Amino acid sequence: MSEFTSLIHNENIKIYSRVRTWVMLFILAFISVLFPALFHFTSSGGSASLMGLWENFQTTLTIAFFLNTIFTVVIASDSVAGEFSWGTIKLLLIRPWSRSKILLSKYISLVLFSLLSTAVMMLFAYGASLIFSSGNASANVGSFTAFEYAMLDVLCSYFEMFITAALAFMVSSVFRASGLAIGLSLFIMFTQSMFAMIFNPERYAWAKYLIFTHMDLHRYILSDTGPAGITFGFSALVLGVYYLLFLLVAWYVFRKRDVAA
Amino acid sequence: MSNMAEVVKPVASLMGVSKTIGSKTLVSDLTLDIPPGQVFGFLGPNGAGKTTTIRMMVGLISISKGDILICGRSVKDHFEEAIANVGAIVENPEMYKFLTGYQNLRQYARMVRGVGKERIDEVIKLVGLEQRIHDKVKTYSLGMRQRLGVAQALLHRPKLLILDEPTNGLDPQGIRELRDYLRRLCIEEGTTVFVSSHLLSEMELMCDSVAIIQNGKLVDVKQLKAVGDSIAVSSVETLFDVDNPQAALELIGRGQLQPGGIVLEAGREEVAGLNARLVAAGIKVYGIRTLSRSLEDQFLEITGGEGIV
Repeated sequence: MSEFTSLIHNENIKIYSRVRTWVMLFILAFISVLFPALFHFTSSGGSASLMGLWENFQTTLTIAFFLNTIFTVVIASDSVAGEFSWGTIKLLLIRPWSRSKILLSKYISLVLFSLLSTAVMMLFAYGASLIFSSGNASANVGSFTAFEYAMLDVLCSYFEMFITAALAFMVSSVFRASGLAIGLSLFIMFTQSMFAMIFNPERYAWAKYLIFTHMDLHRYILSDTGPAGITFGFSALVLGVYYLLFLLVAWYVFRKRDVAA
Repeated sequence: MSNMAEVVKPVASLMGVSKTIGSKTLVSDLTLDIPPGQVFGFLGPNGAGKTTTIRMMVGLISISKGDILICGRSVKDHFEEAIANVGAIVENPEMYKFLTGYQNLRQYARMVRGVGKERIDEVIKLVGLEQRIHDKVKTYSLGMRQRLGVAQALLHRPKLLILDEPTNGLDPQGIRELRDYLRRLCIEEGTTVFVSSHLLSEMELMCDSVAIIQNGKLVDVKQLKAVGDSIAVSSVETLFDVDNPQAALELIGRGQLQPGGIVLEAGREEVAGLNARLVAAGIKVYGIRTLSRSLEDQFLEITGGEGIV
């Protein structure tokens, strides 16, 4: 048997030899540069009202992360469903590799893409923020410096995306339809705060176990507890359970299901 | 030949294999040994269960009952070891259209050990794709994709090559070439070829043996070469195309009158003798044809000419 890394290499080729992937990365870089520039040219009150470097950086990334999530979900959704719609799954699964390993290689390549796209975004947003920021030092946020706060913010956004991508990956593996996987994950991404409001854990005790209540981790940066006294540890636990559940379902279905026409 | 097949271990054994989906039985209790070094045909009308059986052999769908051994390893329990001996095309060979033919082959080469650049080039040459291998697959014709499909199946020098309807979409020249290199693989590399088709005449030209399947059940296994041999010794129906059938019939004293000639049972030597007698008696002989039953006749007879069930 050849090395497992060559499976990941194969999956990476499938992602990066498509023009689409490079268009997505280009758009991410473009947005990351665009927003600092917009903030710069549209601010009215002279250099005093300009945002500091890290403030600028953080605001840009908050916006760009929506797009980053969408693109990562697109890659996640196509990862398994694409092979089925192209019909190439038949040639992929008749190699001397177990289905579990093939699925794992797909998942790893997806995580690698999400890291790359996030890195591209951060790099360009930082560069643009350097150019378009005032010399003012960014104000501290709570007990954190502006730099620390921006980094924690990015980390929380990344986790939110990470969970959403896992959901898309699961739907892609179970239903073998990338459209459904994209639609469903984006629906959850955009409506989770609404669900969190409707099913407020302060009103319904069971809402504590809904994924929507926990997806937005940003609140824990400045506060120890969330609504109804939920702690960060509890949120992390619930998210971890959901995450494992998503991957387990994806794995179980991919391994067991017949590949017919 | 049949004695040898019993001694030599089969490359693949299907042992009481069944596939049921819900209440529908697609393949039922199929038992079949595929002897090594042969082109083995798998013949049946549409919907007989050919593709379902092949999908079970390569592990794409689960086996409801029974087991399949490939080179002695169970597809169920030791999938990775069993499938390492197999190269296959299941239905149409679908490739990554956004990659070139060469990049597609590299994908599959990376998934096995010991397939280097030389082997990839060798296989490309074998299927005759040198000119277009660096073009994107989306620009390929169906026939070229079929060739690329064969190339990916051969990369790792499998002991068993499984081809599902390989002549689909090939032009007559392509079919001829495919037939020739399957034969060459069989002889030179000792590869066993398992090929499914509903094209009877095609199977007749390509295969050493055929298994006939209908409604998910094995109906018959025939050795085609053996059928060919028997023609030489036993007497077969032969048509003599002559200018005066009535006179020919009287001269020979048996046979049936047919428009344009007479038909009678005769062995190989007998035919030559009869011809000499006819010519000596001044009857013009335009042609002599054996009316051996083609595989098609046998197939229709065996399957009763039934439609898809």
